[in-house]
Amino acid sequence: MAALDLNTVRATIEGRLATELASAPSIPVVFHNMAFSPTPNSSWVQCLTSFGTNEYLSQGGTSNSQNRVNGVVVINIFTAVGVGPGANYVIGKRIRDLYNRVNVSGVFFDAATGPEALASPVPEGYFQTQVRVTFESIEGL
Amino acid sequence: MAIIRGEQGSVQFDAAGSTNATIVGTRSWSLTTTKETLDVTDHGDTFRSFVGSLISGSGTVELVYDPDATGQAGFLEDVLTAADPADATFELFTTGSTTGSDSISFAGIITDMEISSTVGELVVVSCNFITSGAITGNLE
Repeated sequence: MAALDLNTVRATIEGRLATELASAPSIPVVFHNMAFSPTPNSSWVQCLTSFGTNEYLSQGGTSNSQNRVNGVVVINIFTAVGVGPGANYVIGKRIRDLYNRVNVSGVFFDAATGPEALASPVPEGYFQTQVRVTFESIEGL
Repeated sequence: MAIIRGEQGSVQFDAAGSTNATIVGTRSWSLTTTKETLDVTDHGDTFRSFVGSLISGSGTVELVYDPDATGQAGFLEDVLTAADPADATFELFTTGSTTGSDSISFAGIITDMEISSTVGELVVVSCNFITSGAITGNLE
């Protein structure tokens, strides 16, 4: 085994979302560090993958050893304002089902949180909810 | 002074006692060595006296279970060895994995194995062992 490739983990996470939201009804999705100008009153999704604390999992030095790499995926769902939450939660269910307790390509997703409605959407002019999923991956050195 | 952290340790094992190999996924180990004593107090003595006698050891190795990890299966399943001749060899390292350095080595028997699976936690395995024969210390 080798040190964990963070972009492989990121691709696993973001790839699932991009594939799902590309299918009908398709919804634009934007990731970290990407320019995007949403169309007013449209639906779109923002996916933010972050790696957090790491910890020793087993004994050993830089070989024959394992670490646990933790992270979180925060997914913001934006839909038209003033028309209720239904359309937003339809998207939220699609996203939640993608990750909820799923184990794929060595990435273990925990039980998903949300979609939670946010009182102050950013950017303004949308109804915003948020789905959060913590995940972990085992690094074998 | 060189303080050693627990993650620097490792465990090597061979069920047949020929060539020890590192068990990948070791989370912790412990060894307790006990020396029995014999009372050699004579009549007329005011204070009891003792001499050291037989030495034995026992301990535990805990693993993060991974069926594909090198060395784990052979270690866990050694508890199933019938009429165990105590031919398995262990070397417990406080740091590194250089044979005969910063370690304690011995032959022994795995006396019990416990594997546990709990929601929200990793599957872990705990094996207890006893030593058989000489215990060699290389902890200096």
